Amino acid sequence: MAESAPHIDSIQLDPADYSVISQGLIAAAREMGAKLIRSAYSTIVREAGDASAALLDRDGNVIAQAELIPMQLGPMAGTFRACADLFPVETLEEGDFYVNNDPFAGGQHLQDVFIYSPIFVAGEIVGFAGTVAHHLDLGGGNPGLNATAADVHAEGIIFPPSKYNFARDWNGGPLERLAAANVRVPSQTIGDFNAQFAANAIGTHRVQQLCEKYGADVIKATMQELQNYSERRFRAALAEIPDGVYVGEDAVDDDGISDQPLTVKATLTIAGETVAIDFAGTCKQVSRNLNCPFSSTVSAALSCVKSALTSPDIPFNEGVKRPITITVPEGTLLNPTYPAPVRARMEAAYRAFNAVMKALAQVVPEKVISGGHDTTTVAAISHLGAAGYRVYLEVFGGGYGASAHKDGCDAVDSPLSNCANAPIEASDMEFDHFRIIEYSLLGDSSGHGRLRGGLGIVRRYEILKDDVNFAIYADRFRIAPYGLFGGSDGSRGRCEVQRNGETIPVRSKDGLMLHKGDILTIYTSGGAGYGDAAERDPDLVRRDVAEGNLSDTAARAAYPHAF
Amino acid sequence: MRVGVEVGGTFTDLVAIGPSGVEIAKVPSVPARPDEGAFNALIESGIAFAAIEDLAHGSTVATNAVLERKGYPIAFITTRGFKDILALQRHNRTNIYDLAYQKPAPVVDRRNSFEVDERMLPDGSVTTAIDMAAIQRDLVPALRDGGYAAIAVCLLNAYANPAHEEALRELLQRHLPDVLITLSSEVTREFREFERASTTTLSAYVQPVIDRYIGRFGARLGENGFAGRFSVMQSNGGRLPAENMRRNAIMALLSGPAAGVVGAARQAGRSGLESLITLDMGGTSTDVCLVEGGNPEITNEFKIDDLPIRTPVLDINTVGAGGGSLIWIDEGGMLRVGPESAGADPGPACYGRGGLLPTVTDAHIVRSTIRPEAFLGGRMEIDPGAAQEALSALAGRLGMSVEEIADSAIRIANANIIRAIQIITTQRGKDPRDYAMVAFGGAGPLHAAQVADDLGVHTILVPPNAGVISAFGLLAADYIQYESMTRRFALDQDAPGAIAGVYREMRERALAKFAEIGFAENLSLDLIADMRFVGQAFEVPVEIDAAELDGLTAERLRAIFAAAHQRIFFHGAAGDKPIEAVSFRLRVSAPVGALPALKETHEYETPETAIEIFDDRQRHTCRVMSRGALEPGAVIDGPALFEDPTSTIFVSPGWSAEADAHENLILRKG
Repeated sequence: MAESAPHIDSIQLDPADYSVISQGLIAAAREMGAKLIRSAYSTIVREAGDASAALLDRDGNVIAQAELIPMQLGPMAGTFRACADLFPVETLEEGDFYVNNDPFAGGQHLQDVFIYSPIFVAGEIVGFAGTVAHHLDLGGGNPGLNATAADVHAEGIIFPPSKYNFARDWNGGPLERLAAANVRVPSQTIGDFNAQFAANAIGTHRVQQLCEKYGADVIKATMQELQNYSERRFRAALAEIPDGVYVGEDAVDDDGISDQPLTVKATLTIAGETVAIDFAGTCKQVSRNLNCPFSSTVSAALSCVKSALTSPDIPFNEGVKRPITITVPEGTLLNPTYPAPVRARMEAAYRAFNAVMKALAQVVPEKVISGGHDTTTVAAISHLGAAGYRVYLEVFGGGYGASAHKDGCDAVDSPLSNCANAPIEASDMEFDHFRIIEYSLLGDSSGHGRLRGGLGIVRRYEILKDDVNFAIYADRFRIAPYGLFGGSDGSRGRCEVQRNGETIPVRSKDGLMLHKGDILTIYTSGGAGYGDAAERDPDLVRRDVAEGNLSDTAARAAYPHAF
Repeated sequence: MRVGVEVGGTFTDLVAIGPSGVEIAKVPSVPARPDEGAFNALIESGIAFAAIEDLAHGSTVATNAVLERKGYPIAFITTRGFKDILALQRHNRTNIYDLAYQKPAPVVDRRNSFEVDERMLPDGSVTTAIDMAAIQRDLVPALRDGGYAAIAVCLLNAYANPAHEEALRELLQRHLPDVLITLSSEVTREFREFERASTTTLSAYVQPVIDRYIGRFGARLGENGFAGRFSVMQSNGGRLPAENMRRNAIMALLSGPAAGVVGAARQAGRSGLESLITLDMGGTSTDVCLVEGGNPEITNEFKIDDLPIRTPVLDINTVGAGGGSLIWIDEGGMLRVGPESAGADPGPACYGRGGLLPTVTDAHIVRSTIRPEAFLGGRMEIDPGAAQEALSALAGRLGMSVEEIADSAIRIANANIIRAIQIITTQRGKDPRDYAMVAFGGAGPLHAAQVADDLGVHTILVPPNAGVISAFGLLAADYIQYESMTRRFALDQDAPGAIAGVYREMRERALAKFAEIGFAENLSLDLIADMRFVGQAFEVPVEIDAAELDGLTAERLRAIFAAAHQRIFFHGAAGDKPIEAVSFRLRVSAPVGALPALKETHEYETPETAIEIFDDRQRHTCRVMSRGALEPGAVIDGPALFEDPTSTIFVSPGWSAEADAHENLILRKG
């Protein structure tokens, strides 16, 4: 497309108005996200920030979003469309909303519940305000996380794509009562839902204000042009990459039952300003919760391509998806069929991310990163006491893979997610069935290279009561993060319980009961290195030793030239 | 004679107010030694040091120490198991698609972080006693060997009970008498260990810097015969005697923009305007702040160099829109302005110093809303051809004329400023139409009318000598300190009594502190309670009138809180969900009293003329006159440009201007 003043549907957008309105829409989406988190109740939303917000056009295309969690940004359009197909947009009235968390209807896992509110201007719908939050507990076979679920029903309540009315069905109405009755900590979960509704109301109000000032037609035209804009920038980035077919492969450690790795394979075909990604060659779906719904696979692949190939300031919206085709054979780990359990989808999603990254490494080595922790390590520690259920849920990152120019970031959530930690002092205030007694960087966990990987994390808990329920899903316990271009692998993760002087190993996908006095420790993996270790700046090696990031022994073995 | 000296990045400004009126001096700053610039300004002004009874000083010395990591080596001490909290931070990323993401670097390295055996619980009870013997045996020698200038202590849950922190300090101080020790419980009493540790380490980091700076400054003042009161500006908008600042160094961070807001608020107050949006637009950025009842709004959440600070500071929002902001077209063909800036060097293309990229200042030259011959009172040579040339390349790409693209760029820059204002108004549940705007800084008065138009603001005030309002703000600032206290209790029938108790306790502490600095009378006290629905983690600040404390009821408290929550978050007004109070702040200020007015210095005059300008997609004929030529009471309709030595004021079409009795220029819509 030639560079000229944008021209949509016979409305000539003034370049200044266009710039101003598009920034205004992005600001509105950010405000929605920020306020959702600040007024939420569960630690997973209010401290970890596991939630996202977006504005959509009338057809459900995302046009602006709060960039909070990459994984939650891909599925907005799909979850919306599943609702709109059943309950057409033109039938909606003021106060109606769509809700959907169905992994087999555009959703990811049940915990991520998507809600969309129509934005009415003069009786006409100009777009939608949408939010998604990870809900602490939605019922299912075990508080917070059911590691042994046989199917999706054992993972919690399903909100199939549907339409409700806020005044009629929420606020003490039947839907709210149904939801509250099926979750273990209703005060927090309903509070988090309310924060979602309120964020939608804020987005609605801001778009209405923009329509009042510029006219609804100009706003609608801007919504279209924003998508074209992102598409143009994405195509320009793709055009720079040599055409060809590139293949990458990685694997999830195991399915939690056997020791067999679960292979994920990506074939990238770059042709002109388009890219096609096919996941043929990926293993069959599994009986445990590691299945990754199609929508999650799409988010993972998109996030990888966007992060590696384009500058971070390109707004992520539906336009970004246009030059990309993603195909996955049905019945595989990356496109499972009903009723597969999917709670721990992130592990396979990360391997899809890694497989695409490895394929890109062959053609744009300067733009990729080595393997990192690249895993969602989730720990749920719950207890049923006199005052009801207490559910603690936390997500751990680890080390980032190194890039061509920077060491991998230490101890940070992995690329597809972006959860904050819950402050130790918040957990101290909230829970009395455990206490965190250590939270630190894990020395000697990073892979070596010209640039080193990031360090992993150690988290240690003292269990303070009997009958404490612990469930975990993690990965990279068996297959280490891979180095690139001569860099060495990062460390593997592990989990163990100390009980009466004995160490009990815990698998990466596991659940067990803990007793008073147990010490539970989680170690996450460090990132892999990039390039030849012999080329690393000796000053940086010595600095890492002085800082305790690297032991003297390990440093001398990996970087003899620095001594 | 009262003197304010403000050291900025480029210039050091001085405002002196004495029996003979207002004097102003402006000298180049000496970035490596801010005090040099300050003394140069004092010498340039010719004021006798002995004649100064009140000297207020603001400088970027603390801010620069952090930004450039030029502080002294310091140590960090925390609870066993947690010495990495400064490196771990909050475990998330501010840019989710950046694969080479790096966390902001803390001011203390891992090797200088230490642990002690102890554990406090959130209710203030002790679960592991502090092991003083081990500290004396292991930690003290390690700290001595480290040669630290300062130590930051942040123990888990110390916000609830500072006993362990205090015991630790007592012991360390005994063994290391020359080391400055900062406790988290003194700096901020809020939960969330990373944010508190960050605040504490930043405070400890700038402590030796400020201590030495103020010591040196004070000594040199003394040598020159100064015998007056020496005070320093804080980021909370108040000042503090310099001696006390040596123990509260964190309050010196980001104090520069605060002085401007205070000066603007004070000057606007003379014209009877107390609900204000301040707009301070300079070369690289624009600072905006909301003022309620004459007092600038305060926030407890701030960042410097991406590191969090949790002490009360003025709620100033900064956006990368200034005269030097670059105008560019991105890869997707969208016209953008800022946040990158051409800075002072090479500066805008029209400066003719080698800058080739167009900036906001160039756009004004092209639109003729800045006249080249009048820029900075004619003290600076401007090359209008260079501005035309820099913008014409972009104009061609978008198929627009040079004037059109210049005008579009100004509107985009204004939109960036408008969004910055919306963040501190509409996003906080406040309606900008209820406020007047105060415009200052070199470019503020040029952009104010269009920004105001868009927000529905209908009154703008431009203070005299808008370019040195920060130095004036130093003199105008009251003495201010905050008391804070974390006390968590339910909003039930006992709450009013509990709040009255908290108020009495904090008041007593504050009175003692002010007596120490020599102010015991006429103190003004404002109580703020941070409340939330039970289960939430972020509080909504609610102001409670101390006069109302006697008859206060739980119902009334609930109503004030619910209304505030609804305003911000769009829910909360209905229902009867339990509410709790979490923490309290008491703002205590000692007014500086009556202050002579800031006056215009009539050193720049130009004959009245009319020119063609291009504004808001149209050409207009526009009056041009010097600001000093406008007689009080006379009304001039826009479009009009008023020039003064430090800025240009643009009265848009549809607006009118009038000089009032206080030498403020008032712009009105309609």
